[in-house]
Amino acid sequence: MAFKLILGAWLSIILIVGFSFPITTNPTNWYDLPFVPGLEDKARILFFHVPMAWVTTLAFIISLIYGIKYLTKKNLDYDIISSSSAGLGMMFCVLATVTGSLWAKFTWGSFWNWDPRETSIFVLLLIYGAYFALRSAIDGDEKKATLSAVYAIIAGITVPFFIFIMPRIVEGLHPNEAIVSQGKISMNKTMLVIFLSSLAAFTGLFFWILNLKVRAARLESKYYLKGE
Amino acid sequence: MFEFFSQNALYIVMSIVLIGWVGIFWYLLRLDKKMNKIEKMFKE
Repeated sequence: MAFKLILGAWLSIILIVGFSFPITTNPTNWYDLPFVPGLEDKARILFFHVPMAWVTTLAFIISLIYGIKYLTKKNLDYDIISSSSAGLGMMFCVLATVTGSLWAKFTWGSFWNWDPRETSIFVLLLIYGAYFALRSAIDGDEKKATLSAVYAIIAGITVPFFIFIMPRIVEGLHPNEAIVSQGKISMNKTMLVIFLSSLAAFTGLFFWILNLKVRAARLESKYYLKGE
Repeated sequence: MFEFFSQNALYIVMSIVLIGWVGIFWYLLRLDKKMNKIEKMFKE
């Protein structure tokens, strides 16, 4: 319980600090955030959009790991964790896409520009959309679990490629320099602390929701077993 | 009124997002409590 209350307060503080700390061209006070050319006040999206994308990656990797575990142990509980994690990953992926798209409207002038990052996240959404289509099309728990575990592994392998590699191979509009410029972190200390705290808080939030989702799915499967 | 909104847009957005987060957080806490209750019922 304490963990949850701390998480709630922690994310609230990040929200307040992330929105209210001033962005200045010459940060002198401890609470000043640096001015990123071309981003101005819109740089604040960094504290929310990037953690969402990070949680998406984490969720899909967890789905892959539990997919492998299911195939080796044939325990249906692993399938529950794998599919719940993929579902949450999909939710955070949609949130990252929507926040990024809103930001793009105000920075690039249009909601969708087919930038390499936008294209890669779109392909990811399609890949995991197909995962849920596959799950809903198969009857029988074990067959469904086996096929979706195989699919989760194949889909999970593509995640690092689409999120980390592809946008770096092809040149695009996405401002990566706000975080890392020429191999060095370009944020000041305050910005870095808020950013890392936000990453940790979103990760905590993800594990909390995953825990709830897995427990609900376990109860559901127990209920059906009792019913039979 | 319009001047107030345009000058404090950032804080207004912050308040709306904060209210949204508090709502989600409260919902998750309640869900967690309810889940604990149901799990106890299944154990008995």
